[in-house]
Amino acid sequence: MFSVYKKDLQSFFYTPFAYVVTALFLFMFTYMFNSGLGTLDQATFSFTFPDIFYNVIIFFIFLIPILTMRTFADERKFGTEVLLMTSPVNVVQIIVGKYLANITVFIFMLASAMFFPIFTAIKGEVVVSQLICAYLGFFLWGAMYIAIGQLVSCFTENSIIAAILGEIVMFVFLFIDNFAMTDFIAQYPTLQAFLYAFAAQPRFAYFSQGFIRLSDIVFFLSAIIVCLVWNYIAIEKRRWNRG
Amino acid sequence: MITIENLTKYYGKNRAVNNISFTINDNEILGFLGPNGAGKSTTMNMIAGYLPMTAGKVTICGSDISKEPVKAKRNIGYLPEIPPVYPDMRVREYLSFCAGLKRIPMVKKSSEITRVMQLLKITDVKDKLIKNLSKGYKQRVGFAQALLGDPKFLILDEPTVGLDPKQVTEVRNIITDLKKDHSVIFSSHILSEVSAVCDRVVIINKGDIKAIDTIENLEKQTGGSLMLHVKIKGSRTAAANIIEIVKGVKEIAKIEAEGNDFYEFIVQITGDGDAVRSDIMSELLKNSIQITEIYTEKPDLESVFVQLINSKTSKSGIEELYEEIKAETADNAEKEEE
Repeated sequence: MFSVYKKDLQSFFYTPFAYVVTALFLFMFTYMFNSGLGTLDQATFSFTFPDIFYNVIIFFIFLIPILTMRTFADERKFGTEVLLMTSPVNVVQIIVGKYLANITVFIFMLASAMFFPIFTAIKGEVVVSQLICAYLGFFLWGAMYIAIGQLVSCFTENSIIAAILGEIVMFVFLFIDNFAMTDFIAQYPTLQAFLYAFAAQPRFAYFSQGFIRLSDIVFFLSAIIVCLVWNYIAIEKRRWNRG
Repeated sequence: MITIENLTKYYGKNRAVNNISFTINDNEILGFLGPNGAGKSTTMNMIAGYLPMTAGKVTICGSDISKEPVKAKRNIGYLPEIPPVYPDMRVREYLSFCAGLKRIPMVKKSSEITRVMQLLKITDVKDKLIKNLSKGYKQRVGFAQALLGDPKFLILDEPTVGLDPKQVTEVRNIITDLKKDHSVIFSSHILSEVSAVCDRVVIINKGDIKAIDTIENLEKQTGGSLMLHVKIKGSRTAAANIIEIVKGVKEIAKIEAEGNDFYEFIVQITGDGDAVRSDIMSELLKNSIQITEIYTEKPDLESVFVQLINSKTSKSGIEELYEEIKAETADNAEKEEE
């Protein structure tokens, strides 16, 4: 497991890949930060970091699939999947190793974004407890999206297709609560409740308000586990059906 | 020892490998021979544990590959048809990653990587990115990966494809050297290669095993009789009469005139080639016919191979017979209409 983790990390950090993705992330963060500052005098509510996180999440749809698209698609494309599958490691170790590598890059991105709160703390005031909660919620949401992206990546050999499929799935997950709130869906309360159960946005809202609720953590963790287990099943299934 | 029992693989409705069984003994080089699309790679993928089998069993050193995959895979090194290399890694980095995958202890890792790099002569490219290497080097890097950790069994899928003639000889020598304490299964569709390296061959076509034997036995079995070439100077008819009555001569296949009283007889013989040859020589000399050249020719391995590949299994024989009958009746019907 460790060797797969290490290899994937190398492929992120020995190439410009991780840095470019992080730069893109910081660019979005900066944009939100600056536009927040710029409209400070017209704002009804005080300007907070959770708000920035909230807005940045929309860009996750584009960012996370870029990070995860190569995870399994490239292994298939280069024929290196054979190497992994014929080595004395099992598929679970490969999946977890790769997932942890993706998470590590994500943590690197989050750590780089620490610049903004630190900068603000020097010049102004930061509500630390709220910030920590927002960070935690942000991390969990990202971790869930990475699991989804990784799952999508094992369905195809083409990393671009993996990225686009990932974007669609993540888009649905992001806006499912808005969709559930439409008048059309409101006619069917059961369906509405069902769809609403999948919504991540309201759960993140609790985090950004400074609440850490067990049910929210369980929601994200279980989504991650479901995706990773599905990932395992998908890989095994394709080996059996190949051809 | 690797035991393969009743291995079968279906891709959807297509049968790629049909109920094959054989064993690979210790310290043996087994050639796996067949035309393109015969099921060689599929079989090797199943032995290496990449593809699950539809039916059957592969046992490596006593562990079943589908029940104890991790234990079984520790004993094999696999070089697939396309070398499984990461284009963005450096050679040393890649080998270090593979060593980690194969759970080679940290202490041994570095010396092990140096060993395989020296063996395959890739030390001078160790800091190059794999994507910048030529096909032959990539192939050798893939081969080096298979040798890491000194596994007992090596499964090599067409290891010499894409190499230049010098490299082919080098790789063949490596394979022959490996025989001392490894077993090798090695697939190819190049006959000369297999006959140069392998102890035994498995010939496979359309998923069926056509033969499992040593090269010599195969030649004897299917090639049948040896051909004797005798070049003489003297009377053609006299020589023909003498050769015909020598014991062990089946028939004179061909007589070629080479100008000015020189003739070449191509004689099909049965039984011991050496005895027949000396008999013919002494008989001809007794009758004062000069012999300028005499040699026996082994039946061409190529023809043995083609014969085996085209030989019908009982089942397909019947199916084809039915088809022939159908075609014939259709032909007859057409003729009648005319």
